[in-house]
Amino acid sequence: MDLYLPIAEVSVNAPLLVLLGALVGFISGMFGIGGGFLMTPILVFLGIPPAVAVASMSNHVAASSMSSVISYGRKRSVDFRMGGVLAAGGAVGSVVGVEIFRWLRLLGQADLVVALSYLVFLGVIGGLMFWESIGAIVRRRRNAPAPPRGDRRPPWLYGLPLKMRFSRSRLYISVIPPIILGAFVGILSAIMGVGGGFILVPAMVYILRMPANIVVGTSLFQIIITTALTGVLQAGRNQTVDILLATLLLIGGVIGAQLGARASSRFRAEELRALLALIVLCVGLRMGLGLFFTPHEAFVLMSGSGG
Amino acid sequence: MAGASLPPVLPPYPSAAVSAALTETNVRVNSDFRGDRIVLYGAIFDPLSRPSDVVVIVRGPDQTVRIAHKSRVAGVWINSRPVVFQGAPGFYIAASTRPLDDIAHFGVLRRLEAGVDHLAMNAPAEQRTETRYGVRDVVVSRLGVDYLDWRRAVVRLKEAAHLYDVADRGVRFVDKGLFRAEIALPAEAPIGKYDVRILLFQDGQPVAEKDRSLTVEKVGVERGLYLWAHERPWSYGLAAMAFALTAGWAASTAFRRD
Repeated sequence: MDLYLPIAEVSVNAPLLVLLGALVGFISGMFGIGGGFLMTPILVFLGIPPAVAVASMSNHVAASSMSSVISYGRKRSVDFRMGGVLAAGGAVGSVVGVEIFRWLRLLGQADLVVALSYLVFLGVIGGLMFWESIGAIVRRRRNAPAPPRGDRRPPWLYGLPLKMRFSRSRLYISVIPPIILGAFVGILSAIMGVGGGFILVPAMVYILRMPANIVVGTSLFQIIITTALTGVLQAGRNQTVDILLATLLLIGGVIGAQLGARASSRFRAEELRALLALIVLCVGLRMGLGLFFTPHEAFVLMSGSGG
Repeated sequence: MAGASLPPVLPPYPSAAVSAALTETNVRVNSDFRGDRIVLYGAIFDPLSRPSDVVVIVRGPDQTVRIAHKSRVAGVWINSRPVVFQGAPGFYIAASTRPLDDIAHFGVLRRLEAGVDHLAMNAPAEQRTETRYGVRDVVVSRLGVDYLDWRRAVVRLKEAAHLYDVADRGVRFVDKGLFRAEIALPAEAPIGKYDVRILLFQDGQPVAEKDRSLTVEKVGVERGLYLWAHERPWSYGLAAMAFALTAGWAASTAFRRD
């Protein structure tokens, strides 16, 4: 059953998109990520104009994050205060990021920066996470004790001013690192068309040293706020949000996210991290390595007429 | 999206005439639009029955094209600065009874913009005028001799998207003096007013022409959403996001008890 999308101005297979939305929503709910890093490349591959794909993704990501954050909220595993501080940084970052992206499109280098960002960020984060989680799995199999990384918290995190108490995360730290982290993720999310969860989750674990059970819900909460803002901004400024495309994706997405959030409790945390790391690595390599292959067509049409 | 325009033709010889009609002049784009096929019928009126050729040119609204060239820098393929081509139609089909080059000479085809090689598109931002060999105001392009490669690439990529086409045998005579052509509109065809020009050629010269027009427009829900998104983008964005968040909330509520 094909459906013509009014804003994207292409015809798509509706059941396929619902299914894709469900699959990505499942992954999203399971790992506490938006899933944009998976969905955006798939949509572009299906022939949807990149600008429309990136913008409509924010609606889908917001919906599936909303769907699963409520489940995490009931389990009291969302630190709303930390999420709010991260989102404040994220709001600033996404406004800046949208401007950077417009400028890059004008230069015609948006493709390059997007592909390089995927390669570098997904590659590095996927690689590190994979290495770490495999180590954890191996240690558990041998019943070896965890290495003493534990609570040697970095002094710079605690020496900064503007301290705030995050009771849910059992932290008393400066708000500066979370705000900078949020802003950085906001910029990246606007450029890469992603929610940024794949960066936030490890950053909250390894940099902010938040308890692992709080991280996923909090990341989702931050993603809702940032993507809701991005989605409205994209619709208002660029008129690139396709409500029909978003609806198709989120029908599957919200259901998939529920199943994913439920399934996540059946796995151990380090196994989940290893799986996520693998997915992240594959997408990063797939997107980035294309830069090194000789293209079969040397010219490329740029989307949008003025930029 | 301004209406497409075609350059004028020489005053036709009085003896021969052509007439044509489209089976559909209003293509309605709704949610199950997957492209369309439009049939054109026409007739030639020539008391002398001289050998005739028919060329049908369908031209959609002009769209500015931005195109970049990939080149290898330090092992990575990157885009050049994009070049902007103007005067390129968003949709273009030249259908004829025989290959265009057999019907008329280069100059005639160029003047009529008949065939993708003869479209009057150029990249004004890359051009400047200078004095060469003592001749003033010579137009030169920054793209230099590669200019043709760029132009051809625009056509090639548009052809790959089924937006440009040259159908050498796209016009068929179904009976004496009666011809038929089929125009395939892909789902990606731009919205707007299309000009359909039917040209009658005799002895390498256009002797008669007929102009028809075709409108591709969104209707129903598609049109409503499109207008909402473009005329009230902020309320559209807020509503779309509110809907998304509500759907997320509804799903989590629905799944709460099982």
